[in-house]
Amino acid sequence: MIKSVIFFLLLPVICLSGASAAVAAVACDLNDADRDVPRLFRESTSYKTFYVSIGERGGPPLLKRIENRLGSSYLPLYAPIDVPYTLYEIYRNGEKVGYIHGVNQKGQFGGVQIFMSQDLAGRIKSFYIQKITGKSAGKFRDVKFAKKFVGMSLKDFDGYDPVTGKGAGRVAEITNPAPEMETDFYAVLRGLKKNLILMDEFVFAPERGKQ
Amino acid sequence: MITPFQIACRNLLRKKVRTFLTLIGIMLSTWVMVSLFGFNKGYEKALNRDIENMGYQLMVMAKGCPYEAATMMLQGGKGLRYMEQSMVNDIVKEPEVEKVTPILMQAYFDPNKGESGGIAGYFGVDPASYPAMKPFFRFRSGGWFHDEAAQEVVMGYEAAELEQREVGDMTMVPEKNVQLKVVGILERTGTQDDGTIFVPLKSLQRIAGTAKITTVGIKVKKDADMSKLETKLYQLKDVQVVSFSQVKQTILKLIATARVMVLSIAIVAILIAMVGVVNTVLMSVLERVQEIGILKTMGAMPGDIFRLVWTETLILCSVGGIAGIGFALLFAQVTDILVRRILPYAPGGGLVAIDLPLALLTLVTIVGVGLLSGLYPAWKAGRVRPLESIRREG
Repeated sequence: MIKSVIFFLLLPVICLSGASAAVAAVACDLNDADRDVPRLFRESTSYKTFYVSIGERGGPPLLKRIENRLGSSYLPLYAPIDVPYTLYEIYRNGEKVGYIHGVNQKGQFGGVQIFMSQDLAGRIKSFYIQKITGKSAGKFRDVKFAKKFVGMSLKDFDGYDPVTGKGAGRVAEITNPAPEMETDFYAVLRGLKKNLILMDEFVFAPERGKQ
Repeated sequence: MITPFQIACRNLLRKKVRTFLTLIGIMLSTWVMVSLFGFNKGYEKALNRDIENMGYQLMVMAKGCPYEAATMMLQGGKGLRYMEQSMVNDIVKEPEVEKVTPILMQAYFDPNKGESGGIAGYFGVDPASYPAMKPFFRFRSGGWFHDEAAQEVVMGYEAAELEQREVGDMTMVPEKNVQLKVVGILERTGTQDDGTIFVPLKSLQRIAGTAKITTVGIKVKKDADMSKLETKLYQLKDVQVVSFSQVKQTILKLIATARVMVLSIAIVAILIAMVGVVNTVLMSVLERVQEIGILKTMGAMPGDIFRLVWTETLILCSVGGIAGIGFALLFAQVTDILVRRILPYAPGGGLVAIDLPLALLTLVTIVGVGLLSGLYPAWKAGRVRPLESIRREG
């Protein structure tokens, strides 16, 4: 009988293993923040998790502003206005030194989860794709590819449109590590732009307003 | 004219901090008690719902499958035990059986999920028999497969959200790199089906390179003798039978230990709260001996004094009890989350079910136990001798 119980207990786990982060249905969480935060932000000594939603930060006017900045129907938020985004505030010896934030973006064969850590000025310190599906998906998770984004900020997207793939500047110089997964390459760039815009609206714009 | 109730309220308000702390004690014990009873009720209800939503009451699988299920998760399906699909024909012949459906469970390792990879699970189901087992399924968009060997998937609500899939999108089976088209997305059911990716049985068999299955789901006829059927199924070669009613009973037995522990804590909490009540009311009586003596000289009978002191206990327990029930209702979702973290298996849906009869039962219990605790202080107050008390105080 105990075998049956083991099976029954395991059954939901097996079923949900196809959707391991199903609990975080729309908002994007780190799978294991205690392990991932020090990896993405090497000098961190602690972190705090916050939940922010467009609804509570500004409601429909903010949503409209974000959508205008995203600039295209190809950059949907995939999240209702009241769904909380998970924001990790990073500390070093009690002093805030940056942020980590992730977004979902639609890829060719599944959801792509794109995380970045930023310093207090909004520059990218590290870049991490938590989940991506496809034959050559591993190439997008390669450290060499991730390093190409270090030091970038939202300004780097001023001269580049990740929807059309046209433009110039640092983003345009990044080459697709897996040409057979072109859809996913642009999904990563679109997701990154979305991530930077959301962080600007949630964190940096309000901070600029205070100054 | 001032009523005994008003006098009792004023007496309690004389020592506000003491009264407040006693109320906190009663409130906390009520909170624990009503949450525990709510859990007892809610857990069984949720478990029943989960089992009913399986669509079938019995499962037949190859021997050793529970352990292989764990292997499947850890190693991505390597070493799974299978059985012949012809087994379905043997089972369906039994007179107790209403419907059967063959299932193939597969799991593949996806190296690009999380830091060190993850498992993607697939349920191969027979389009002809499986939907009939799940008549409560509703599609958010799309529908079931177009044919029995289609390269298609139907996704549970959560699975589709996680994968950002819509009807018409493609998915890819990791390891095998096989592309499948999304043809249906289910509405949320609150069960494990929400995280499931369904594939036509024949398609998954082709992807897995096997003609076998891992499980047969059996729906038993109404009023059929299930234990008789189980005995017959055990005669089949190299299979084991999982009965969900037995599973339910065993899970409830496992949970019973936790229930007894929490019940013990609740009883201790109530006892501590009641000792607090006795202490508060007794202290209040001892501080008012002279007053009680004067009341008696004015004609108050022992019964009047008894009722006055007992009313104080009643007020304390009622207010504390109502506040405790209020907090339990307010924080039911938090309790739910905490309980889920502790339990080895938590079914979907709400685990803590607090309704009006349960709230009233808890309130009556708290007030009843409280009134019993108040008997001694009230009796002691009633026995105060007027002259002696006045002389002593003077």
